[in-house]
Amino acid sequence: MSFITTLIKRGRSRLREVARRQGRRARDFVDETESEALAVVTVVALSLVAALVGFLLVSALTVVPLATFVVATVYGWFRHQEVTARVLTLTTTVSTLLILGLIIVFIFLESIPIVRYESATVFGVTVPGLRLFVETRWDAVSDPVRFSMVPMIHGTVMVTLIATAVAAPLGVSAALFLSEIAPAPVREVVKPGVEILAGIPSIVYGFIGFTILSPWASDQFRLNGQGTYLFVGIVVGLMALPTVVSVAEDALSSVPESIKSGSLAVGTTDWQTMTSITLPAAFSGVSAAVLLGVGRAIGETMAATVMLKGVPRLTDPLYNVFYGQETLTSIIARNYGDADGLQMDALFIAGVILFVTVLFISIGSQYIEWRMRRQFGGDV
Amino acid sequence: MAGATRSTLANQETSGTDLAAAAAIGLSTILFVLSVASLAEQLSITGSISGVPTVTLLGGLLVLLGGTVASFGVSSRLGYVETNADHSAGLIAAVAAGIPWFLIGGGFASETLGLGAVAGLAVGVLIGGTAFAATAFPREDVGSTVPIGALSIVTGLVFLTSVLGPEWVWDLGWEQTASLTAEFVIPVLTLLNAMYAGWAAAKAYGGFGARGRHVGAYVLVYLNALSIVAFLFVLVAFTVVRGIPGLLTGAEFGWGVGPGTTVGVGGFGFTLSLPFSVPFVMNGVALMNDFQGVLPAIVGTIWLVVGAVLFAVPLGIGAAIFLTEYAEQGPFTQVVEIATNGLWSTPSIVFGLFGFAFLIPRFGNSKSLLAGMLTLGFMLLPLVLITSREAMISVPDEYRDASAALGVSKWQTIQSVVLPAALPGVVTGVILGVGRIAGETAPILLTMAGGTFVPGSQTADVIGGFEFIASPPFVTNPELLQATSALPYQLFALITAGVGLGENVANPEEFRWATALILLVVVLSFYAVGIATRYYFRRKLSYE
Repeated sequence: MSFITTLIKRGRSRLREVARRQGRRARDFVDETESEALAVVTVVALSLVAALVGFLLVSALTVVPLATFVVATVYGWFRHQEVTARVLTLTTTVSTLLILGLIIVFIFLESIPIVRYESATVFGVTVPGLRLFVETRWDAVSDPVRFSMVPMIHGTVMVTLIATAVAAPLGVSAALFLSEIAPAPVREVVKPGVEILAGIPSIVYGFIGFTILSPWASDQFRLNGQGTYLFVGIVVGLMALPTVVSVAEDALSSVPESIKSGSLAVGTTDWQTMTSITLPAAFSGVSAAVLLGVGRAIGETMAATVMLKGVPRLTDPLYNVFYGQETLTSIIARNYGDADGLQMDALFIAGVILFVTVLFISIGSQYIEWRMRRQFGGDV
Repeated sequence: MAGATRSTLANQETSGTDLAAAAAIGLSTILFVLSVASLAEQLSITGSISGVPTVTLLGGLLVLLGGTVASFGVSSRLGYVETNADHSAGLIAAVAAGIPWFLIGGGFASETLGLGAVAGLAVGVLIGGTAFAATAFPREDVGSTVPIGALSIVTGLVFLTSVLGPEWVWDLGWEQTASLTAEFVIPVLTLLNAMYAGWAAAKAYGGFGARGRHVGAYVLVYLNALSIVAFLFVLVAFTVVRGIPGLLTGAEFGWGVGPGTTVGVGGFGFTLSLPFSVPFVMNGVALMNDFQGVLPAIVGTIWLVVGAVLFAVPLGIGAAIFLTEYAEQGPFTQVVEIATNGLWSTPSIVFGLFGFAFLIPRFGNSKSLLAGMLTLGFMLLPLVLITSREAMISVPDEYRDASAALGVSKWQTIQSVVLPAALPGVVTGVILGVGRIAGETAPILLTMAGGTFVPGSQTADVIGGFEFIASPPFVTNPELLQATSALPYQLFALITAGVGLGENVANPEEFRWATALILLVVVLSFYAVGIATRYYFRRKLSYE
């Protein structure tokens, strides 16, 4: 307990310190700036906040503070460019944060009703949203109406596992090729190729998968109907490949050249240097790359929507990869049109699960990259 | 670098045996190509190649390949061939050889002999373990060739003896029925064997030892890189070939066939018209049209991109300036960085949901072009921010110091030193980001798009759409506030609309492929411009 209290105390004093520093900086800013410029900046800030509030409240009068903001900004730009530029850039930074905040608030708010509806009682305690994860029934029409997320989570896990099995080894190997092996002219061809691969729209992958791969798979494996997790996973893996390649390549080329040369100087082959020096040194960066690839695969929507069956249920048996039912992303894209009320909220809870998972993956991979940067000292 | 370690000493007097290893590599290349061809249904498993049934041919080649690889290893062990083999092939090779043997042993015991899962596991572990030991414990030349060569020989014999013939089917017996058929299993087994044996042969070609492993690994890495490029090429070429007929339906070339405008100069009217007419990209969909097209979707995509860029680029660059130039590096910049990266990896469908919940109620409760623009703008923002920030960080501090030494203010330094120096990176980042969002379907699905076929009369005319009104918000633009189409959505709608697209389109299949082609062309041209810009700036910078 005492450990936690110390931690809280330390956090509090740290916060107070930061607040004090920020307060001092703000006071300095007020002292240093001309009073007229200060007034302009205040008008800019206040009108922008008012416009945001108006927009959030769906007011037709939003245009008034917006116009004030524009006028004040134009005036400030010509009279006090230095201060205005600074405030404007600060505003843009804050609005980036604001967008993430709004995304969190809005998708969570929309999903509250379904969490309430799908409450379940365990040992006399009502746990909101529990039934979303313990039942497997999704039926929006016939009684009992249930919106279980289990089939979709199963689908997303299957697709992501297969996609990772495709993207991780191929991606890391391609990154090794680009960063360590390829002669310059070859790299100049392969690297834009990988980038273009990232640019091919997911719906085009989905279209080719739908018209070519799915019928082919149904024929080869004697399946009933179209759509398999196996091939959706492979296609999604190919789509996640460029992410893995480019991040892993950055990590590999950030290993200082001196370390590699040192290894080569003792008479190892290039491949020995790669496996015993470069890859271990860049291991955390490479795993961050794979993690980001996993994040991409989880969030991939259109190829899954077009290629899967669209019937939310578990496959039988669970590891049957030859049938593809539904993933968290595809259920949203497929059902948003005719969804209403609770069903729409259920789509939002799918969005929340996706968002939270991918956010954790993103933060995790950033932490790993940060550790790697620290390991090699500041200048990487 | 690759050539730097080539040792001429190790290659002395081995040219004849090199030939054997090279022949094995060539053989596995042939098998690789054959199996890919049969997976792509260019080569029938039930058919025959120049009189020999395909399965027999594959089996024979596999036995030959396995025999060559294994005998090369054995003759090296017996001293007929001079190599630099290590005392062991190593753990990776042992695991790599153990896994297929485990699967073969387990599958044979549990399925073919019908002994059940437990016995299958036991036999699998026994045989896999034997292969592991046979790879790990003998000297490298035997260890890395014999188990893998035996694998190819066994597979080849299975093919030759028709245990696994062209008619072979294995019903997996699952509730949702699925079967493994010879059409799939034979090419895949051939493919895996070819890669394994090719790897072993490449090691042998390098004379085993460190150099052999180097050659073996490089063969696989090069194969992977080549496959990625080939995959891209095939994908694009396939779409082009399938899309061209639909794209050119009713197309005419020649003077004065295209849509024209009349220009009046000094009382004379000149009609200028394009020398070509491609209805697919110049028409909408209407009952009276001879040929249907996707013009509204193309225009919609262009407006989407313009709107998203207008929203995201100022915000992204502004934030990048603040973070690199003004802000103190500390908790605040760290939070922004984490938030930006989080925003970057947020799935596109979540942006769509957000737009649906946040923007649509605020723009008249219906899907609109404006909502689509903003949603894509939200997606573009982190990309612009990250790339601009990287570009600004890489501007050397000497530039800033030199400018500050002249006594100019900070903003002037940013404006006239940092921004111009960072411009190439920013521009490239923006263009690549635009290429990415131009092909996005999921976000606009929920916020903007409606209708499978959009009449040409509904082509968005944003500039002409602005109107002033007396009540707040005083300015409206109905064009911005109504649903329209975009190419990615159009393709999605065409796919989900099923086979019969009605009387409207003569050949739905061609129409779909042509839409995919146009989408690919639009998106990839952004990428081409982005990559070309980067090369241009890089060359320019390297000359200076």
